[in-house]
Amino acid sequence: MKFLHYSILLLLVAACASDYKARKAVAPDSVCTEKIKPVGIKTAWYTTHIDVIGKHISGLLLVKQMPDSSKRVVFTNEAGVTFLDFEFRADGSFQVKQVIKQLDRKAVIQLLRKDFELMLGIPFRKGVYESWQMNDERYFGVPQKKETAYFITGADCASLRRIELGSKRKKKVTVEMWGDNLTTPDSVKVKHYTFNMVIGLKKIER
Amino acid sequence: MFRNFIQNKGIVAKYTLLLITGLTVALQVSAQYAGYKSVNDLAAFKKQFATESAKVQSITSDFVQQKELLALTETITSSGKFWFKRSNRVRIDYTKPFTYRMVMNGDKMLVKDDQKESRINVKSNKLFQQVNKIMIDCVQGTILDSKDFTTRVFENDKTYLLEMTPVSKTLKEFFQTIVLNVEKKDYSVKSIDMNEPSGDKTTITFSNKVLNAQVADEVFAL
Repeated sequence: MKFLHYSILLLLVAACASDYKARKAVAPDSVCTEKIKPVGIKTAWYTTHIDVIGKHISGLLLVKQMPDSSKRVVFTNEAGVTFLDFEFRADGSFQVKQVIKQLDRKAVIQLLRKDFELMLGIPFRKGVYESWQMNDERYFGVPQKKETAYFITGADCASLRRIELGSKRKKKVTVEMWGDNLTTPDSVKVKHYTFNMVIGLKKIER
Repeated sequence: MFRNFIQNKGIVAKYTLLLITGLTVALQVSAQYAGYKSVNDLAAFKKQFATESAKVQSITSDFVQQKELLALTETITSSGKFWFKRSNRVRIDYTKPFTYRMVMNGDKMLVKDDQKESRINVKSNKLFQQVNKIMIDCVQGTILDSKDFTTRVFENDKTYLLEMTPVSKTLKEFFQTIVLNVEKKDYSVKSIDMNEPSGDKTTITFSNKVLNAQVADEVFAL
Protein backbone atom coordinates (compact mmCIF):
# COMPACT_ATOMS: atom_id res chain seq x y z
CA MET A 1 0.00 0.00 0.00
CA LYS A 2 2.83 2.35 0.91
CA PHE A 3 4.48 1.54 -2.41
CA LEU A 4 1.26 2.50 -4.21
CA HIS A 5 1.18 5.85 -2.41
CA TYR A 6 4.76 6.56 -3.37
CA SER A 7 4.06 5.53 -6.96
CA ILE A 8 1.07 7.86 -7.20
CA LEU A 9 3.08 10.66 -5.62
CA LEU A 10 5.89 10.06 -8.08
CA LEU A 11 3.47 10.13 -10.99
CA LEU A 12 1.95 13.38 -9.76
CA VAL A 13 5.36 14.97 -9.36
CA ALA A 14 6.32 13.82 -12.83
CA ALA A 15 3.06 15.14 -14.28
CA CYS A 16 3.53 18.52 -12.66
CA ALA A 17 7.18 18.88 -13.62
CA SER A 18 7.74 21.60 -16.17
CA ASP A 19 9.31 20.67 -19.48
CA TYR A 20 10.81 24.14 -19.59
CA LYS A 21 12.05 24.43 -16.00
CA ALA A 22 15.71 24.12 -16.91
CA ARG A 23 15.75 26.72 -19.64
CA LYS A 24 17.51 30.02 -19.14
CA ALA A 25 16.65 33.26 -20.89
CA VAL A 26 19.39 34.50 -23.17
CA ALA A 27 19.83 37.59 -25.32
CA PRO A 28 18.01 37.46 -28.67
CA ASP A 29 20.17 36.48 -31.64
CA SER A 30 18.77 38.07 -34.77
CA VAL A 31 21.41 36.47 -37.00
CA CYS A 32 20.36 33.01 -35.87
CA THR A 33 16.61 33.71 -36.03
CA GLU A 34 16.84 35.07 -39.55
CA LYS A 35 18.91 32.12 -40.66
CA ILE A 36 16.83 29.35 -39.06
CA LYS A 37 13.31 30.80 -38.74
CA PRO A 38 10.95 28.23 -40.32
CA VAL A 39 9.26 29.58 -43.42
CA GLY A 40 7.09 26.49 -43.71
CA ILE A 41 6.20 24.06 -46.45
CA LYS A 42 5.45 25.73 -49.79
CA THR A 43 4.00 23.39 -52.42
CA ALA A 44 4.18 19.61 -52.21
CA TRP A 45 2.04 16.44 -52.09
CA TYR A 46 2.52 13.97 -49.26
CA THR A 47 1.29 10.52 -48.41
CA THR A 48 -0.11 10.93 -44.94
CA HIS A 49 -0.69 8.67 -41.96
CA ILE A 50 -2.60 9.81 -38.91
CA ASP A 51 -2.55 7.66 -35.80
CA VAL A 52 -4.92 8.75 -33.07
CA ILE A 53 -5.32 6.77 -29.87
CA GLY A 54 -4.67 3.43 -31.52
CA LYS A 55 -6.62 4.18 -34.70
CA HIS A 56 -5.10 4.73 -38.12
CA ILE A 57 -6.09 6.70 -41.20
CA SER A 58 -4.15 7.37 -44.38
CA GLY A 59 -4.54 9.69 -47.34
CA LEU A 60 -2.84 12.36 -49.40
CA LEU A 61 -2.03 15.88 -48.21
CA LEU A 62 -1.45 18.77 -50.55
CA VAL A 63 0.23 21.94 -49.31
CA LYS A 64 -0.02 24.69 -51.91
CA GLN A 65 1.47 28.16 -51.94
CA MET A 66 -1.05 30.33 -53.80
CA PRO A 67 -0.23 33.36 -55.98
CA ASP A 68 -1.82 35.70 -53.41
CA SER A 69 0.63 34.39 -50.77
CA SER A 70 -2.05 32.41 -48.97
CA LYS A 71 -1.51 28.70 -48.39
CA ARG A 72 -3.97 25.87 -48.84
CA VAL A 73 -3.89 22.48 -47.13
CA VAL A 74 -6.07 19.78 -48.68
CA PHE A 75 -6.44 16.26 -47.30
CA THR A 76 -7.99 13.58 -49.51
CA ASN A 77 -8.13 9.83 -49.33
CA GLU A 78 -6.19 7.76 -51.85
CA ALA A 79 -9.28 7.44 -54.00
CA GLY A 80 -9.52 11.19 -54.39
CA VAL A 81 -12.38 12.04 -52.03
CA THR A 82 -11.64 15.38 -50.32
CA PHE A 83 -11.87 15.34 -46.53
CA LEU A 84 -10.86 18.92 -45.86
CA ASP A 85 -9.52 22.07 -47.50
CA PHE A 86 -8.12 24.81 -45.25
CA GLU A 87 -6.99 28.25 -46.33
CA PHE A 88 -4.32 30.17 -44.39
CA ARG A 89 -4.30 33.74 -45.64
CA ALA A 90 -1.28 36.01 -45.75
CA ASP A 91 -2.93 38.39 -43.24
CA GLY A 92 -3.11 35.58 -40.68
CA SER A 93 -6.81 34.85 -41.10
CA PHE A 94 -8.07 31.34 -41.63
CA GLN A 95 -10.97 29.84 -43.54
CA VAL A 96 -12.36 26.35 -43.88
CA LYS A 97 -13.04 26.06 -47.60
CA GLN A 98 -14.40 22.55 -47.34
CA VAL A 99 -14.77 19.87 -44.68
CA ILE A 100 -16.78 16.68 -44.58
CA LYS A 101 -19.55 16.42 -42.03
CA GLN A 102 -17.70 13.92 -39.86
CA LEU A 103 -14.76 16.30 -39.37
CA ASP A 104 -16.81 19.44 -39.04
CA ARG A 105 -16.24 19.90 -35.29
CA LYS A 106 -14.69 23.01 -33.80
CA ALA A 107 -12.21 21.03 -31.70
CA VAL A 108 -11.02 18.95 -34.67
CA ILE A 109 -10.64 21.96 -36.91
CA GLN A 110 -8.74 23.94 -34.27
CA LEU A 111 -6.46 20.99 -33.56
CA LEU A 112 -5.58 20.48 -37.23
CA ARG A 113 -5.34 24.22 -37.83
CA LYS A 114 -2.67 24.56 -35.13
CA ASP A 115 -0.73 21.56 -36.43
CA PHE A 116 -0.79 22.86 -39.99
CA GLU A 117 0.15 26.37 -38.86
CA LEU A 118 3.30 24.98 -37.26
CA MET A 119 4.13 23.08 -40.47
CA LEU A 120 3.57 26.24 -42.48
CA GLY A 121 5.72 28.37 -40.15
CA ILE A 122 2.82 30.77 -39.62
CA PRO A 123 3.54 31.64 -35.96
CA PHE A 124 7.03 32.82 -36.93
CA ARG A 125 6.06 35.15 -39.77
CA LYS A 126 6.35 38.40 -37.88
CA GLY A 127 7.57 37.26 -34.56
CA VAL A 128 9.41 39.16 -31.92
CA TYR A 129 11.39 36.29 -30.53
CA GLU A 130 12.25 35.52 -26.97
CA SER A 131 15.30 33.30 -26.57
CA TRP A 132 16.30 30.61 -24.12
CA GLN A 133 19.03 28.05 -23.73
CA MET A 134 18.29 24.56 -22.41
CA ASN A 135 20.80 21.73 -22.41
CA ASP A 136 22.49 21.95 -25.80
CA GLU A 137 19.54 23.62 -27.52
CA ARG A 138 18.45 27.18 -28.23
CA TYR A 139 14.74 28.00 -28.10
CA PHE A 140 13.23 30.93 -30.00
CA GLY A 141 9.66 31.54 -28.90
CA VAL A 142 6.71 33.56 -30.15
CA PRO A 143 3.79 33.89 -27.70
CA GLN A 144 0.44 32.71 -29.05
CA LYS A 145 -2.93 33.13 -27.33
CA LYS A 146 -2.37 30.62 -24.53
CA GLU A 147 0.76 28.90 -25.74
CA THR A 148 4.17 29.61 -27.15
CA ALA A 149 5.41 28.47 -30.54
CA TYR A 150 9.12 27.69 -30.58
CA PHE A 151 11.69 26.81 -33.14
CA ILE A 152 14.65 25.04 -31.76
CA THR A 153 18.23 24.83 -32.95
CA GLY A 154 21.43 23.33 -31.66
CA ALA A 155 23.81 25.50 -29.66
CA ASP A 156 25.71 26.34 -32.84
CA CYS A 157 22.56 27.47 -34.68
CA ALA A 158 23.58 25.27 -37.59
CA SER A 159 20.14 23.89 -38.39
CA LEU A 160 16.52 23.66 -37.31
CA ARG A 161 16.02 20.74 -34.96
CA ARG A 162 12.27 20.99 -34.52
CA ILE A 163 9.27 23.25 -34.09
CA GLU A 164 7.38 23.02 -30.82
CA LEU A 165 4.17 24.27 -29.29
CA GLY A 166 4.07 24.44 -25.52
CA SER A 167 2.00 25.79 -22.68
CA LYS A 168 3.73 27.59 -19.84
CA ARG A 169 4.94 24.30 -18.40
CA LYS A 170 4.31 21.49 -20.84
CA LYS A 171 5.39 20.56 -24.30
CA LYS A 172 2.25 19.94 -26.36
CA VAL A 173 3.25 19.38 -30.01
CA THR A 174 6.50 18.92 -31.89
CA VAL A 175 7.06 19.11 -35.65
CA GLU A 176 10.21 17.53 -37.09
CA MET A 177 11.19 17.82 -40.73
CA TRP A 178 13.80 15.96 -42.74
CA GLY A 179 15.32 16.73 -46.12
CA ASP A 180 17.70 19.12 -47.82
CA ASN A 181 15.08 21.78 -48.45
CA LEU A 182 12.71 22.47 -45.56
CA THR A 183 10.28 24.36 -47.79
CA THR A 184 9.56 20.97 -49.36
CA PRO A 185 10.78 18.49 -46.76
CA ASP A 186 11.05 14.82 -47.68
CA SER A 187 9.22 13.80 -44.53
CA VAL A 188 7.49 15.42 -41.59
CA LYS A 189 6.41 14.11 -38.20
CA VAL A 190 3.89 15.93 -36.02
CA LYS A 191 3.65 14.47 -32.53
CA HIS A 192 1.22 15.39 -29.76
CA TYR A 193 2.25 15.00 -26.12
CA THR A 194 -1.02 15.67 -24.28
CA PHE A 195 -2.72 12.74 -26.01
CA ASN A 196 -1.63 10.01 -28.35
CA MET A 197 -1.59 11.40 -31.88
CA VAL A 198 1.05 11.35 -34.59
CA ILE A 199 0.83 12.67 -38.15
CA GLY A 200 3.45 11.36 -40.57
CA LEU A 201 4.04 12.84 -44.03
CA LYS A 202 6.21 11.47 -46.82
CA LYS A 203 6.73 13.52 -49.96
CA ILE A 204 5.36 12.17 -53.22
CA GLU A 205 7.80 12.53 -56.11
CA ARG A 206 5.71 13.32 -59.19
CA MET B 1 -13.46 14.25 -31.65
CA PHE B 2 -10.83 13.24 -34.21
CA ARG B 3 -10.85 9.84 -32.61
CA ASN B 4 -14.56 9.57 -33.27
CA PHE B 5 -14.02 10.41 -36.90
CA ILE B 6 -11.80 7.40 -37.29
CA GLN B 7 -13.24 5.08 -34.72
CA ASN B 8 -16.99 5.28 -34.93
CA LYS B 9 -17.79 4.42 -38.46
CA GLY B 10 -14.67 3.00 -40.01
CA ILE B 11 -14.55 6.10 -42.13
CA VAL B 12 -11.55 5.03 -44.15
CA ALA B 13 -13.47 2.04 -45.32
CA LYS B 14 -16.53 4.09 -46.14
CA TYR B 15 -14.74 6.41 -48.49
CA THR B 16 -12.74 3.68 -50.08
CA LEU B 17 -16.01 1.84 -50.55
CA LEU B 18 -17.29 4.83 -52.45
CA LEU B 19 -14.37 4.41 -54.83
CA ILE B 20 -14.89 0.69 -55.13
CA THR B 21 -18.49 1.33 -55.98
CA GLY B 22 -17.51 3.83 -58.62
CA LEU B 23 -14.98 1.50 -60.14
CA THR B 24 -17.34 -1.43 -60.07
CA VAL B 25 -20.07 0.58 -61.66
CA ALA B 26 -17.55 1.67 -64.22
CA LEU B 27 -16.31 -1.73 -65.19
CA GLN B 28 -19.68 -3.36 -65.21
CA VAL B 29 -21.27 -1.12 -67.75
CA SER B 30 -20.62 0.19 -70.05
CA ALA B 31 -26.00 18.20 -68.45
CA GLN B 32 -25.87 17.33 -72.01
CA TYR B 33 -22.52 16.27 -73.35
CA ALA B 34 -20.86 17.53 -76.50
CA GLY B 35 -21.19 15.06 -79.35
CA TYR B 36 -23.69 12.91 -77.47
CA LYS B 37 -27.43 12.55 -77.85
CA SER B 38 -29.95 11.01 -75.49
CA VAL B 39 -30.58 7.31 -75.85
CA ASN B 40 -34.08 7.01 -77.24
CA ASP B 41 -34.95 3.50 -76.22
CA LEU B 42 -33.86 3.44 -72.59
CA ALA B 43 -35.71 0.19 -71.89
CA ALA B 44 -33.82 -1.59 -74.65
CA PHE B 45 -30.53 -0.19 -73.37
CA LYS B 46 -31.30 -1.35 -69.84
CA LYS B 47 -32.09 -4.83 -71.06
CA GLN B 48 -28.95 -5.01 -73.19
CA PHE B 49 -26.83 -3.61 -70.39
CA ALA B 50 -28.13 -6.22 -67.95
CA THR B 51 -27.57 -9.00 -70.51
CA GLU B 52 -23.99 -7.94 -71.23
CA SER B 53 -23.21 -7.46 -67.53
CA ALA B 54 -24.42 -10.95 -66.75
CA LYS B 55 -21.82 -12.35 -69.14
CA VAL B 56 -18.92 -10.84 -67.20
CA GLN B 57 -17.48 -13.26 -64.68
CA SER B 58 -14.20 -11.48 -64.10
CA ILE B 59 -12.28 -8.35 -65.04
CA THR B 60 -8.61 -7.51 -64.82
CA SER B 61 -7.49 -4.04 -65.79
CA ASP B 62 -4.82 -1.39 -65.33
CA PHE B 63 -5.97 2.09 -64.40
CA VAL B 64 -4.73 5.67 -64.21
CA GLN B 65 -6.42 8.01 -61.74
CA GLN B 66 -6.24 11.79 -61.99
CA LYS B 67 -7.49 13.95 -59.17
CA GLU B 68 -7.94 17.55 -60.29
CA LEU B 69 -8.26 20.33 -57.73
CA LEU B 70 -9.86 23.04 -59.77
CA ALA B 71 -9.27 26.13 -57.62
CA LEU B 72 -5.73 25.11 -56.79
CA THR B 73 -4.76 24.19 -60.37
CA GLU B 74 -3.26 20.99 -59.03
CA THR B 75 -3.49 17.45 -60.36
CA ILE B 76 -2.21 14.29 -58.77
CA THR B 77 -1.90 11.21 -60.93
CA SER B 78 -1.77 7.69 -59.58
CA SER B 79 -2.00 4.30 -61.21
CA GLY B 80 -2.50 0.66 -60.41
CA LYS B 81 -4.42 -2.50 -61.09
CA PHE B 82 -8.06 -3.54 -60.70
CA TRP B 83 -9.61 -7.00 -60.35
CA PHE B 84 -13.24 -8.08 -60.18
CA LYS B 85 -14.66 -11.56 -59.81
CA ARG B 86 -18.33 -12.37 -59.70
CA SER B 87 -20.25 -12.03 -57.65
CA ASN B 88 -18.88 -9.57 -55.15
CA ARG B 89 -15.13 -9.57 -55.04
CA VAL B 90 -13.12 -6.49 -55.93
CA ARG B 91 -9.47 -5.57 -55.45
CA ILE B 92 -7.77 -2.27 -56.24
CA ASP B 93 -4.02 -1.84 -55.93
CA TYR B 94 -2.48 1.60 -56.26
CA THR B 95 1.17 1.11 -57.13
CA LYS B 96 2.41 4.56 -58.20
CA PRO B 97 3.34 7.01 -56.77
CA PHE B 98 2.21 5.36 -53.54
CA THR B 99 1.10 1.90 -52.52
CA TYR B 100 -2.40 1.27 -51.26
CA ARG B 101 -4.66 -1.77 -51.47
CA MET B 102 -8.41 -2.24 -51.05
CA VAL B 103 -9.99 -5.67 -51.20
CA MET B 104 -13.70 -6.29 -50.91
CA ASN B 105 -14.84 -9.86 -50.53
CA GLY B 106 -18.51 -10.34 -49.70
CA ASP B 107 -19.26 -8.60 -46.43
CA LYS B 108 -15.62 -8.12 -45.54
CA MET B 109 -13.07 -5.59 -46.59
CA LEU B 110 -9.30 -5.10 -46.28
CA VAL B 111 -7.55 -1.74 -46.47
CA LYS B 112 -3.76 -1.79 -46.53
CA ASP B 113 -1.37 1.15 -46.82
CA ASP B 114 2.40 1.10 -46.48
CA GLN B 115 2.16 1.07 -42.70
CA LYS B 116 -0.92 -0.81 -41.59
CA GLU B 117 -3.75 -3.03 -42.67
CA SER B 118 -7.32 -2.97 -41.38
CA ARG B 119 -10.16 -5.43 -41.77
CA ILE B 120 -13.71 -4.15 -41.75
CA ASN B 121 -17.12 -5.78 -41.65
CA VAL B 122 -19.14 -4.05 -44.35
CA LYS B 123 -22.38 -4.86 -42.53
CA SER B 124 -21.33 -2.68 -39.63
CA ASN B 125 -23.27 0.35 -40.74
CA LYS B 126 -26.00 1.68 -42.95
CA LEU B 127 -23.74 3.42 -45.45
CA PHE B 128 -21.77 0.23 -45.98
CA GLN B 129 -25.01 -1.58 -46.70
CA GLN B 130 -26.11 1.13 -49.10
CA VAL B 131 -22.82 1.07 -50.97
CA ASN B 132 -22.83 -2.72 -50.98
CA LYS B 133 -26.27 -2.68 -52.57
CA ILE B 134 -25.09 -0.25 -55.23
CA MET B 135 -22.22 -2.57 -55.99
CA ILE B 136 -24.48 -5.58 -56.31
CA ASP B 137 -26.78 -3.60 -58.58
CA CYS B 138 -23.77 -2.91 -60.75
CA VAL B 139 -22.66 -6.51 -60.76
CA GLN B 140 -26.11 -7.67 -61.72
CA GLY B 141 -26.50 -5.00 -64.33
CA THR B 142 -29.46 -3.45 -62.52
CA ILE B 143 -27.76 -0.18 -61.56
CA LEU B 144 -30.01 1.66 -63.98
CA ASP B 145 -32.99 0.60 -61.84
CA SER B 146 -31.23 1.64 -58.61
CA LYS B 147 -32.96 4.11 -56.32
CA ASP B 148 -29.56 5.39 -55.16
CA PHE B 149 -29.05 7.30 -58.42
CA THR B 150 -31.07 8.95 -61.10
CA THR B 151 -29.41 8.09 -64.38
CA ARG B 152 -29.41 9.68 -67.79
CA VAL B 153 -27.97 7.80 -70.74
CA PHE B 154 -26.42 9.36 -73.83
CA GLU B 155 -24.66 7.93 -76.84
CA ASN B 156 -22.48 8.73 -79.82
CA ASP B 157 -21.20 6.39 -82.52
CA LYS B 158 -18.81 4.49 -80.31
CA THR B 159 -19.76 5.02 -76.70
CA TYR B 160 -22.54 5.26 -74.19
CA LEU B 161 -22.35 7.89 -71.49
CA LEU B 162 -24.12 7.22 -68.20
CA GLU B 163 -24.60 10.23 -65.97
CA MET B 164 -25.48 9.08 -62.46
CA THR B 165 -26.73 11.61 -59.93
CA PRO B 166 -26.86 10.49 -56.29
CA VAL B 167 -30.22 10.65 -54.57
CA SER B 168 -29.18 10.22 -50.93
CA LYS B 169 -27.84 13.08 -48.84
CA THR B 170 -24.80 11.04 -47.85
CA LEU B 171 -23.66 10.35 -51.40
CA LYS B 172 -24.56 13.87 -52.49
CA GLU B 173 -22.03 15.25 -50.01
CA PHE B 174 -19.26 13.60 -51.99
CA PHE B 175 -20.48 13.39 -55.57
CA GLN B 176 -22.44 15.73 -57.75
CA THR B 177 -22.42 13.16 -60.53
CA ILE B 178 -20.59 10.02 -61.51
CA VAL B 179 -20.16 9.80 -65.27
CA LEU B 180 -19.25 6.58 -67.02
CA ASN B 181 -17.96 6.36 -70.54
CA VAL B 182 -18.79 2.91 -71.92
CA GLU B 183 -17.57 1.38 -75.16
CA LYS B 184 -20.36 0.11 -77.37
CA LYS B 185 -18.30 -2.72 -78.82
CA ASP B 186 -18.07 -4.71 -75.57
CA TYR B 187 -19.84 -2.61 -72.94
CA SER B 188 -16.55 -2.11 -71.12
CA VAL B 189 -15.72 1.23 -69.57
CA LYS B 190 -13.12 3.57 -70.95
CA SER B 191 -13.26 6.03 -68.09
CA ILE B 192 -15.18 7.22 -65.07
CA ASP B 193 -15.49 10.80 -63.84
CA MET B 194 -16.37 11.42 -60.22
CA ASN B 195 -17.46 15.04 -59.99
CA GLU B 196 -17.49 16.60 -56.55
CA PRO B 197 -19.81 19.42 -55.50
CA SER B 198 -16.77 21.73 -55.15
CA GLY B 199 -15.94 21.35 -58.84
CA ASP B 200 -13.02 19.04 -58.16
CA LYS B 201 -12.96 15.90 -60.23
CA THR B 202 -11.39 12.45 -60.17
CA THR B 203 -11.04 10.66 -63.49
CA ILE B 204 -10.13 7.00 -63.75
CA THR B 205 -9.13 5.66 -67.13
CA PHE B 206 -8.89 1.93 -67.72
CA SER B 207 -6.55 0.11 -70.05
CA ASN B 208 -5.44 -3.42 -70.85
CA LYS B 209 -8.84 -4.77 -69.83
CA VAL B 210 -9.25 -8.52 -69.85
CA LEU B 211 -12.74 -9.91 -69.41
CA ASN B 212 -13.55 -13.39 -68.17
CA ALA B 213 -9.99 -14.60 -67.72
CA GLN B 214 -9.21 -16.96 -64.86
CA VAL B 215 -8.72 -14.94 -61.65
CA ALA B 216 -7.62 -16.91 -58.60
CA ASP B 217 -9.66 -16.59 -55.42
CA GLU B 218 -6.42 -15.81 -53.59
CA VAL B 219 -6.33 -12.41 -55.31
CA PHE B 220 -9.17 -11.41 -52.99
CA ALA B 221 -7.73 -12.94 -49.81
CA LEU B 222 -8.38 -10.77 -46.77
